[in-house]
Amino acid sequence: MKRVRGRVLDVYAILAIGYMLLPIAVVFLFSFNDPAGRFNYVWQSFTFDNWVNWDAVPGLRDALETSLVIAVLASLTATALGTLIALALVRHQFRGRAPINFLIFLPMAAPEIVLGASLLTLFLNQTLLDLGFWTIFIAHVMFCISFVVVTVRARLVDFDRHLEEAAADLGATGLETFRLVTLPLLWPAILAGGLLAFAISVDDFVITYFNSGSEITFPVFVWGQAARGVPPQVNVIGSAIFLIAVGIMLVSVIVQTRRRKESSA
Amino acid sequence: MTRHLTRRQLLERAALGGAALTLPGFLAACGGDETTAAGTTATGGGEQTLASRLRFANWQLYIDVDEKTKKRPTLDQFTKETGVSVDYFEEINSNDEYFGKIQGPLSRGQSIDRDIIVLTDNSRYPGLMVEEGWVEQLDKDAIPNIANLVDALQSPPFDPDRTYSLPWQSGMTGIAYNAKLSPTPITSVEQLLEDPKLKGKMTLLSEMADTLGVVMKANGDDPAVVTDETFTRAIDRVKAAVDSGQVRQFTGNDYSGPLSKGDLVAALSWSGDVVQLQADNANLKWGIPKDGGMIWTDNMLIPTGGDVFTASTYMNFVYDPKVAAQIAAYVNYVTPVNGAKEELAKTDPDTAANPLIFPDDETLSRVSGFDSKALNNQDYIEQWQTLLGA
Amino acid sequence: MTFFHRHRWLAPWGLLTPGMTWLVIFFVVPLGFLAYQSLQSGIFPSYEFTWEFSNYREALSDNREQLVRSFWYAGIATVLALAFSYPLAYWIAFRAGKWKNVFLVLVVAPFFVTYLIRTIAWQTILSDDGTVVGVLRTVGLLADDGRLLATSTAVVAGITYNYLPFAILPIYVSLEQIDRRLVEAAEDLYASPRRAFLRVTLPLSLPGVFAATVLTFIPSAGDFINAELLGGPNQAMIGNVIQSKFLALIDYPSAAALSFVLMAIIVVMIAIYARIVGSERLG
Repeated sequence: MKRVRGRVLDVYAILAIGYMLLPIAVVFLFSFNDPAGRFNYVWQSFTFDNWVNWDAVPGLRDALETSLVIAVLASLTATALGTLIALALVRHQFRGRAPINFLIFLPMAAPEIVLGASLLTLFLNQTLLDLGFWTIFIAHVMFCISFVVVTVRARLVDFDRHLEEAAADLGATGLETFRLVTLPLLWPAILAGGLLAFAISVDDFVITYFNSGSEITFPVFVWGQAARGVPPQVNVIGSAIFLIAVGIMLVSVIVQTRRRKESSA
Repeated sequence: MTRHLTRRQLLERAALGGAALTLPGFLAACGGDETTAAGTTATGGGEQTLASRLRFANWQLYIDVDEKTKKRPTLDQFTKETGVSVDYFEEINSNDEYFGKIQGPLSRGQSIDRDIIVLTDNSRYPGLMVEEGWVEQLDKDAIPNIANLVDALQSPPFDPDRTYSLPWQSGMTGIAYNAKLSPTPITSVEQLLEDPKLKGKMTLLSEMADTLGVVMKANGDDPAVVTDETFTRAIDRVKAAVDSGQVRQFTGNDYSGPLSKGDLVAALSWSGDVVQLQADNANLKWGIPKDGGMIWTDNMLIPTGGDVFTASTYMNFVYDPKVAAQIAAYVNYVTPVNGAKEELAKTDPDTAANPLIFPDDETLSRVSGFDSKALNNQDYIEQWQTLLGA
Repeated sequence: MTFFHRHRWLAPWGLLTPGMTWLVIFFVVPLGFLAYQSLQSGIFPSYEFTWEFSNYREALSDNREQLVRSFWYAGIATVLALAFSYPLAYWIAFRAGKWKNVFLVLVVAPFFVTYLIRTIAWQTILSDDGTVVGVLRTVGLLADDGRLLATSTAVVAGITYNYLPFAILPIYVSLEQIDRRLVEAAEDLYASPRRAFLRVTLPLSLPGVFAATVLTFIPSAGDFINAELLGGPNQAMIGNVIQSKFLALIDYPSAAALSFVLMAIIVVMIAIYARIVGSERLG
């Protein structure tokens, strides 16, 4: 019975993953299209040209670099800040928990356009920073923190404190316990939160658009292209990001497995 | 670092259009290539200096690009001729979004670090910018080529004397249909809105001026002079089509995908897009509706704080028919510069003969613009937005 | 560290300060300005502060249809997302072994690809001539001339798809840390696999389910892009109204008031939900 159930679940998982990858498959397919006009909607013929000349579209490369750098920085920052907040909320009793909880939820509930526009107003009323890279960074961290908090918190709630107590009993200091016990066990949640933050940041359009000044990120670039026809190179970039992300994870797992084999040999 | 050019040298380098030699300029030029003291951008006679950079914000794919070198030939040519390098920002993808972004600084009197921006006149925004005083006046003395502006666009409602704006490109709104899916040509708004064969298979444009404009014409009314009555007549007619399920969606140019794939049989659409779509689907035909269509123009404006002289110099440059021809060949929208068609015919007769890119006078006489006061009428806009669903 | 031991009450604040400071400066302050603007009246750009509470009243009454529709769509999307994500998250947590992280990235990475081209891809997939519509017509779920695009189905499907990683990740995170031995112990005590799941696994994964619900429902309610690209005039959501007020109508006080109305309703709904699920367990 268990075997059948297991099989059913396996099939479901494959179908589910297939569903999630379906649009990506289409995007990937059309990255090899050689469009007749400027629109990439109808399949014409196969070409590797778009992949070879991936930065043939002016502005694409710069926009991409900007987006990736911001996403990495913002997701790292938001993950760090968000994890700390999650730790505080779950592990400590203190007054002011309810308003803090409230404040964490609110950015997720606010419509992007008003979040973007009101943040713009803030930036316009100061002279320290010009609109550009750093204002985008600030905005991204701001709306990613909440997502990280909620994700990490889900794991912290049922975290087995006994393990930390055991470590303390064995003479570990607070910091050592945190570094050697808490953090590794919390790691999947932190990674998940970071991935989510990265995905949100690299894809954000509305808030970024209002607060970017002259800086152009990849989504802003792509949405701008939509008016005249998105070039297949955009499909190339999208597919490439996907493949690289999966590839990195694949390689790291293989390396870890090999390392484990070696250390146990 | 500012490079200086005397006005006479500049005008000598300008193509057609009659370079007017001013006496002060002539005298100043006698000394050869000189450096003047830091100039101001005062209009009128005397020395004027160009800035070292021109900051130009435009829509995507709206200027010529050499696909191999990724450079923009006409911009490079401008730099070569004037020494002004161009920072080109393809950051405008919708009038209302861009306005939402720049109104913040502009309403505080701050500059947006742009010398030229481009907004469409079938939206309320160019008119609003002029009304609020957020644009600078053009330096017409620096734009002798303004004489090449086509007659039809000399006096738009939002800027009757062309004090603040100059057209960049125009486009026409008409009906695109798939001849394979509809052997009967779809040539009238009436067919679009009321032919049961098109139920759920056609889209209208979400831009009020485009859709209500053609409907008004189909009603026999003039969209250039909108009254409460003509507005109500038009919007009621569209509402009936929405309620009956005739209208599938109100779109921006995202009709392109469904149209080329055959999900749509007909769509109210823009001329430039269809030129491109025809490459993918040869069955697509486009035409101005029987009762008339709309024409809209993307206008160059100088926002507050922009360098008037440098911007005007650039405008003069693109109004040279040779330059205009180069841009038109790539962009495939309707150029506002007289003489560009003839120039292009020398090198690319096929494109020069395309009636969607170079419409003849007869075609142009069947299209017109929308009442600009109505564009800013809050009540009308609310009614329209409610119809769109919001 | 001993400093924090002695002054234990300080510890949470030390952890909270960096993140909360960021939120206060870059979220609360702008929100304050927005609140100020929501009580203004007038025509762009000369608004005046007039304690215009009628903005709120109008926001509620004029847009009831879109508000209800948005929460309805968001609700359906959330339920669908949970139903879809739970088994998948379970499979990744319990069955994927050392390839867990690979599969995790595999399901999140599609969302690194820009929203716009994902949606265009869906337009292709759901096209009237496409395979999906064809199959549905054959099976009878769709009329012969039925379509998927520009319908509520397409919009809800689009919203659901878009927030799937928001559902999968928290549920996975919760499931992954469940001590397998607890499940084994239940089975050793003669519980059927089903019972073990219902009595052990599911309850332990509730924090993740709660997080998934919240992370999916909230942004879904405010979404506007799916309605814009995949829907018609009868599918407009409150996000579209806010866009319209802000961009086309340039009526910032109205837009601001409506935004607060939206946020307030969401917060109330989540608070009720948290109470039902039992918030002490959830941190």
